[in-house]
Amino acid sequence: MTAKDPALPQRAATLPPGSSRAYHTGSWRQQRPVHRRRPAPCHHTCPAGEDPQFYIQKLQEHEPEAAFRSILEANPFPAVTGRICPHPCETACNRGRFDEPIAIHAIERHLGDLAIAGRWTAELPPLEEDGPTVAIVGAGPAGLSAAWQLRRRGLRAVLYDRHPLAGGLLRTAIPLYRLPRAVLERELERLFATGIEFRGRCRLGQEIFLDDLRRTHDAVILAIGLSRPRPWSVRGAVPGDLHYGLALLEEWIDVGAAPLQGRTVVVHGGGNTAVDVARLAVRAGARAVHLVTTRALPGDPSAIGPEDVMQAFPREIEQAREEGVIVHPHTTITRLIIRGARLRAVELAAVRALAGPDGRTRRVAFEGTEQILEADMVVPATGEIVDAEGLDRLPRAGDFLASDRWGRIPGEKLLYVAGDASGRGASVSAAIGDGARVAAAVLHDLHRGLAPSPSPEPPIAYEALNLHYFDHEPRREPAILPVPERLESDREIEQGLSASEIASEAGRCFSCGNCLACDNCWTFCPDLAVLKTAEVARDGSHYVFDYDFCKGCGVCAAECPCGFIEMVPEPPPRFAAG
Amino acid sequence: MTGTQELRRRQPRFLGLEPGHRACQGCGQALAAALVTEAAGPDVILVNATGCLEVFTTPWPQSAWRLPWIHSLFENAAAVAAGVEAALKRQGRPSKVLAFAGDGGTFDIGFRSLSGMIERHHEVLFVCFDNEAYMNTGVQRSSSTPHAAATTTSPAGRKLPGKRHLKKDLLAIVTAHHLPYAATATVAYPGDLMAKVRRGMATEGPAFLLVYSPCPLGWVHDPRDMIAVARLAVETGIFPVVEFERGELVSVLPIREKKPVVEFLRLQGRFAHLLGDDPKALEEREHLQALADANIARFGLLARGEDERDTVSAARVRRGGRIR
Repeated sequence: MTAKDPALPQRAATLPPGSSRAYHTGSWRQQRPVHRRRPAPCHHTCPAGEDPQFYIQKLQEHEPEAAFRSILEANPFPAVTGRICPHPCETACNRGRFDEPIAIHAIERHLGDLAIAGRWTAELPPLEEDGPTVAIVGAGPAGLSAAWQLRRRGLRAVLYDRHPLAGGLLRTAIPLYRLPRAVLERELERLFATGIEFRGRCRLGQEIFLDDLRRTHDAVILAIGLSRPRPWSVRGAVPGDLHYGLALLEEWIDVGAAPLQGRTVVVHGGGNTAVDVARLAVRAGARAVHLVTTRALPGDPSAIGPEDVMQAFPREIEQAREEGVIVHPHTTITRLIIRGARLRAVELAAVRALAGPDGRTRRVAFEGTEQILEADMVVPATGEIVDAEGLDRLPRAGDFLASDRWGRIPGEKLLYVAGDASGRGASVSAAIGDGARVAAAVLHDLHRGLAPSPSPEPPIAYEALNLHYFDHEPRREPAILPVPERLESDREIEQGLSASEIASEAGRCFSCGNCLACDNCWTFCPDLAVLKTAEVARDGSHYVFDYDFCKGCGVCAAECPCGFIEMVPEPPPRFAAG
Repeated sequence: MTGTQELRRRQPRFLGLEPGHRACQGCGQALAAALVTEAAGPDVILVNATGCLEVFTTPWPQSAWRLPWIHSLFENAAAVAAGVEAALKRQGRPSKVLAFAGDGGTFDIGFRSLSGMIERHHEVLFVCFDNEAYMNTGVQRSSSTPHAAATTTSPAGRKLPGKRHLKKDLLAIVTAHHLPYAATATVAYPGDLMAKVRRGMATEGPAFLLVYSPCPLGWVHDPRDMIAVARLAVETGIFPVVEFERGELVSVLPIREKKPVVEFLRLQGRFAHLLGDDPKALEEREHLQALADANIARFGLLARGEDERDTVSAARVRRGGRIR
């Protein structure tokens, strides 16, 4: 048929044939689908602020370097945290309710190791030579993280530390079998290659002074950690040759010796330091090693809450017990039996955390449950407090320095506290996250950035996913070194996964709250109103809604496996004026 | 050209059906027709019986089809398709003919011509989009309407709980023709559906495909649940997904996790009268459950664990697309 004849009246029978695409069914719509990215539980839970969903996606897209760079935005040490972080991301992982969580830590470690092998680094803006400089006291995880975030924005950061080398407790307190030092060295080298300065052997109050630092720098961050053991005694009694756990650990890591050969050692405490000290005692040739903690073992149903469970990472406790450490949970030391200056035995008693009349939890040792444990050494590892040498003027909050949640010290200008010393950190990852948060506050206060973002959106729930599109598949577990080999050397206990195992693990990811590029919306749209893009669409997905034709049925939203499509009410139509 | 028009031009798949068609929101038949023509490819001739599909794709003077398309009458799609096939053969051209009809045009009005087309061994893939009633004229019962479903001519009331009779076992009648290939599929398993279309198109001689296509209007369900309803029909055993060759059952889509029929009923207003506590509703629910269980027993639909493909693995997706 030819084009319409203007002489004929406009009637249906005279219209030229055409495609139904001339008719926009989008006008029928009362609700429209939109892509809405929501935080995956792994991202929401990560104390360092990493987004594992995103880097797993990049890994699947065969862009491991982009995956690694996305981690660097939050954390400069993925090879370190992939090894030592207790990975709360895996506890939160939605896949854990389906079969088993993704081995996120193994993927993070894999990317960190690839970056070391490939000498990958971040793309950074040039250093502002005349820009503000920030002094950071303490080159542990929080201080290094803050320096990294400032450097990412082009600011100069100078790290001061009392030790000759940077790393903080990563270097001094994490056992070699958990973190080979070569891994730490490579990641530190990458960090310092970006122009961040380090000045070692600078002890606050001796070689450097707070007032000087504030005079010579535009801002100062105190990331001094907790380095003084909490004073320990049993009813005022202490043995003559008392060694605190952290000091023993540092000595063992530094010089490879500890005075524990042939002795029966009782370690007091339930945190990571206590477990590490117990394991070093095994390696140093102790005859027997006991770990006494007032808290419960992880998974013990008699614990009244998380505050009643040992703070050490469950897998570390498990490995310590495999190596022969005898754990006495819900127990405390009630008496030291000392002959002369030497310890002969300790008296233990059962203890429980109970809610007192004021609602506060207190620990009660029960009379009549005492037992004697022969021992010739007791090592307290019941926590550390801030060492405020040179900082006497600053306000304190219990064992910590006082600050707001962004690290600003009340009553002080451009003076901050980050990491463990603030009381906001309980792990290396938390310290890294806190360092980044404080750096954001510094950038804002120096007019170099937006106000730190408010509290994050809640993570996407398991129920928001459409799980019909996933099948069960077992998690790949890294190999663990057998006990005899562990005790012979400092070799790393947990091994990495192979590249193919990593790919399988990445393939198990639900892609919670973000596009999986699975084609479901594209396949199931009855109105052919979802278009696929070869490039990445503006919202990070691989699909575009064609609102000319979308009728708003909601099938795409219902069948999206990831909860990435949301139906929102259609905005009222806008009519042209006149 | 706007961004979306340009993007549409570059889509990495053939679409036989264009947008702008006038199907209702969440129409299962529109989706099924799009998937069938995508799999059948551009080089086919469509013959369409009267029905929803014919009406919503061709509002004069527009067409949503990007394929040669003929509509004649309600009852003769198979006969017209047979004629097209014969003409193509006579011209020495490959026969690529698809006949489309709803359940009215297949189970009832077009049944005679379908039987003749198969019996004369015409090389046509006949696709029935089964939405279990005359939806185009306002939801009247057909011989495909399931037992106890409410339609405007089988209303649920005090005397009768929806349709009194059973759904016609059309597949048994079709397979009694001992035709080379006959199968069922649903929109909930698009990979399975498209594979069966390709299989049917490659068959020498007649092939028949029954596609379970939910109708939000007639089944009274939320349009967004279109796939969920079709999936539950499979997972409960209400709609068996099976394949026949020369009248013999050759494969099934096994059910990994069997669901109770009430989950399928609960989503649909046409079964709302069966959800109450009264004894009659309970009896009919049990009746439908027994029918589903009979399907499962008859076709051996329960997965035994070692099946390479079942309802879970057939639905599985991964980054970059569906696992087919």
